[in-house]
Amino acid sequence: MSLLRGLLGMELIGISVRLFLDFQEKPASLDSALILDVPLGVISRIEKMGGATSRGENSYGLDITCKDMRNLRFALKQEGHSRRDMFEILTRYAFPLAHSLPIFAFLNEEKFDVDGWMVYNPVEEYRRQGLPNHHWRITFINKCYELCDTYPALLVVPYRASDDDLRRVATFRSRNRIPVLSWIHPENKTVIVRCSQPLVGMSGKRNKDDEKYLDVIRETNRQINKLTIYDARPNVNAVANKATGGGYESDDAYHNAELFFLDIHNIHVMRESLKKVKDIVYPNVEESHWLSSLESTHWLEHIKLVLTGAIQVADRVSSGKSSVVVHCSDGWDRTAQLTSLAMLMLDSYYRSIEGFEILVQKEWISFGHKFASRIGHGDKNHADADRSPIFLQFIDCVWQMSKQFPTAFEFNERFLIVILDHLYSCRFGTFLYNCESAREKQKVTERTVSLWSLINSNKDKFKNPFYTKEINRVLYPVASMRHLELWVNYYIRWNPRIKQQQPNPVEQRYMELLALRDEYIKRLEELQLANSPKLSDPSTSPSSPSQMVPHVQTHF
Amino acid sequence: MEFSELIRTGQAQAELLRGPEMPPLRGTLCVTGHHLLLSPGPQATPDLWLLLLRSVDSIEKRVAGDAGTITLRCKDLRVLQLDIEGVEATLDIARSIEALSSLESVITSFPFFYRPKGLRLGESWHFHPPERYYKRVARETRAWRLSEANEDFSLCPSYPRAVIVPRTVDDDALARSARFRQGGRFPVLSYYHAPSGTVLLRSSQPLTGPQKRRCAEDEELLQAVLAGARPGARGFIVDTRSAQAAKQARMTGGGTEAKSAYPGWKRLHRPLERGRPLQESFVHLVEACGDLEQSMDRWLSRLDGCHWLSHVKAALSTACLAAQGMEWEGACILVHGAEGTDSTLLVTSLAQLILDPLSRTMAGFQELIEREWIQHEAPIFLLFLDCVWQLGRQFPLSLEFGEGMLLALFDHSYASPFGTFLCNSEKERCLCEVRTRTHSLWSGLNQPKEQRKLRNPLYAPNPLAIWPSVEPQSLRLWQGLFLRWTHPPEPSEVAWEKVWQIATDQEKTEGSQPTDSASEPQP
Repeated sequence: MSLLRGLLGMELIGISVRLFLDFQEKPASLDSALILDVPLGVISRIEKMGGATSRGENSYGLDITCKDMRNLRFALKQEGHSRRDMFEILTRYAFPLAHSLPIFAFLNEEKFDVDGWMVYNPVEEYRRQGLPNHHWRITFINKCYELCDTYPALLVVPYRASDDDLRRVATFRSRNRIPVLSWIHPENKTVIVRCSQPLVGMSGKRNKDDEKYLDVIRETNRQINKLTIYDARPNVNAVANKATGGGYESDDAYHNAELFFLDIHNIHVMRESLKKVKDIVYPNVEESHWLSSLESTHWLEHIKLVLTGAIQVADRVSSGKSSVVVHCSDGWDRTAQLTSLAMLMLDSYYRSIEGFEILVQKEWISFGHKFASRIGHGDKNHADADRSPIFLQFIDCVWQMSKQFPTAFEFNERFLIVILDHLYSCRFGTFLYNCESAREKQKVTERTVSLWSLINSNKDKFKNPFYTKEINRVLYPVASMRHLELWVNYYIRWNPRIKQQQPNPVEQRYMELLALRDEYIKRLEELQLANSPKLSDPSTSPSSPSQMVPHVQTHF
Repeated sequence: MEFSELIRTGQAQAELLRGPEMPPLRGTLCVTGHHLLLSPGPQATPDLWLLLLRSVDSIEKRVAGDAGTITLRCKDLRVLQLDIEGVEATLDIARSIEALSSLESVITSFPFFYRPKGLRLGESWHFHPPERYYKRVARETRAWRLSEANEDFSLCPSYPRAVIVPRTVDDDALARSARFRQGGRFPVLSYYHAPSGTVLLRSSQPLTGPQKRRCAEDEELLQAVLAGARPGARGFIVDTRSAQAAKQARMTGGGTEAKSAYPGWKRLHRPLERGRPLQESFVHLVEACGDLEQSMDRWLSRLDGCHWLSHVKAALSTACLAAQGMEWEGACILVHGAEGTDSTLLVTSLAQLILDPLSRTMAGFQELIEREWIQHEAPIFLLFLDCVWQLGRQFPLSLEFGEGMLLALFDHSYASPFGTFLCNSEKERCLCEVRTRTHSLWSGLNQPKEQRKLRNPLYAPNPLAIWPSVEPQSLRLWQGLFLRWTHPPEPSEVAWEKVWQIATDQEKTEGSQPTDSASEPQP
């Protein structure tokens, strides 16, 4: 890690802290003061190191731990007590919740050409899926969040289940998160349904309404007489959950269902795994036995299990022609990963920029992935056991898919990184709070800007030039360790020794080629107009642009 | 010798399994002098499947009941399985393959019989004669001259007839220096770096022996190199062995340059693996990649345990060191290990790719290979190709050729209908009349129909040096090669094809022919 020496200054600019370093000895590679803009929201922890009597170089100063895989350490001079002020200001603004200050997004007055809050409209999204139909209906039973306070207002449920049925089922599902439709297959009409675990408990309780309800879901699909239930957890964890009132669907109670465990570990395991990744990449990359160290973090193994689970869900729905119920414990972490990844594999619409925004908005934000608890926006309690990189893991899986299918996604790597940066930055309201009801209470859509406003008003920056739109292509990524990679451009981007190739030269070159081609086509058309005034039917003319350039229409 | 003596059977009915992603082929199997043929009948696609017998690395046979199975492991890492009707037929075919695939003789090999339509014999051997490069350097600098001292290969059988040496050193001195270097490989110019006026040299180790012998002419030669660069120029000798190993080499007559004998030159030791350890590393990696049953939980540590990527890293870092010495320090560089034929060539050729934009063109790369590489079978050549692949991955626009070119070179280096990679030295090549009796690989690859697979559609000439990152997380397993037969490479090929479409659409609208510098006849 390189050491830079100089005078440290700090300025709060809007939602970022701008740290600048005026050099006493300027390193050759930098020609002016170093300016580091760190969004305050990214800061996880601020610590003073050393005391007034500390001796030795760099023993006194501030340590800033960030949520995005980097740490900053500022060695200060003891004289002047500048550290105390700096520490207090930083703490105050980095952790506004502890100081009864508003989160930055509420102070952000940025204006964009597009309103990102308009991107997701649940009714329109369900209509796009062909819903309601004669098996599935849209219900407003949760309009005031009375059925389930962590679910969205609008839900899709079996036509044959009455609102009273739903209320009774809710009593048997953890946090009342009843099975509801996430996605329906456009042709075979099989569905992906999500929920939380059933409240079976130690005594093995049963609930006729829940059993009947799952059977009603099964019956909406006549191709196969079994319903498939994927429990995302390892078998032992599901059993252990009985001790706290949870559990899983037993064969006895649910005759017509087959249950599979997907062996994905819980939020605590994922958090510890990512911590290990950070240990091997920051501040120094573990050089000897790099691959073995990487293996010992188990991060890629977890990625593999999540992807494998999602592939199973997608395959069951698409080739197995069976409807699928997915749950974990509460149905807001692993369940969201599985349903959204499976939907990404099955439905090419979600691979467009707007489609992906809708997917995130729907499966993650509206269905109550606890972003506030998992990320700890504005909260100083850095060691909170509720924090976990579940959404990051999902984005990593998406990145792995985009590596394996370079033409299938409309968005590029930068799009994914920007989403992750603003997952922490608190500049936008998109990822604030744990659920829709809380967001509504805080009037987030009125009082903050959406991340999608930023992205959609600069769409070109986030486009993958290789994208080829293909309707109905199901993607099955290879979830083998051989084909998974550490996302170096994200996890190791702060390492000064990693050369950043920004912007991606391939994309840039490709854009150049496209632009050149367009220019030539235009010129050719002009020439043809000028040369052959009597050009009659372009389809019979051998020199017509549509034949000379056979693929013009298919790109973009 | 007649091939027919080695062919034990005419033909048999067989089914060929070509890996998990390919449908099996059924048909008539037949062994010829150079090929294994399977003809599935006129309706099938492909209507004929051919395998060059030289590409068979090992063969296993098993018989049960009245049928047999032959498993062929090929040098291009493919594993093929043939299920054959009849026990006798199986054994006969296996024996024929064993005998024919292990033939040592060069002049009975397939390139001497291969006469494709559209190619004229002798054509394109003139594409990349090393002399042309040497003449250019001699023209551009006043300090170097072309010498024909090796015209009859008496100085060094593994050097070409023409070599380039300091102008102030005469042919007699060269002969003495050659006697002081293993295999006669005295220091010769490998690359002239015009921006700094410095040169990259290669040689074999000096034969100092336990008595620490010296050779005045050899010392004079290296002195002349520095004097020719500029007054006061320094030099670095990059020894690709450890200091310990270099010292030990004295016991067997070799050694390394004594500091006092070569003023102005500083020795650096950068040990690179070669020979057996490299071969083992390669074998382990191939095993790991081909082992589909193995639990994948330990994949990364197994990959780590193969050490292949550490060899890639070591080769690239040493090449960077040599290149930095020239570009940043304005120093002359001499690279050698022991024989100066394996890791030495790896370092000199990679350093050129880093520094020289011309060597990154299709034609320049072919010329570089012609000039630098004399033996291609060892995994050291594959290591070179892997390093080039890493460069291409890190600088996706800077190489005119793509992964397809590297794969083609890998395949042809082991078994090829072309003569380019035959023999281990220029002398042998002359004796076998390779240049007049076989076709050059370049004439095959430079045909327009091959170019789309080989060229990088995104290429944009880059005048700068390309400094690769050699951090472990910047280096990847070359999946396109090592996992080529176990996973369909389709997705990246789809992307590749799409880029080509755009690039060629543009050319079509431009109304020009695809730029095809490599296949243009040279004046």
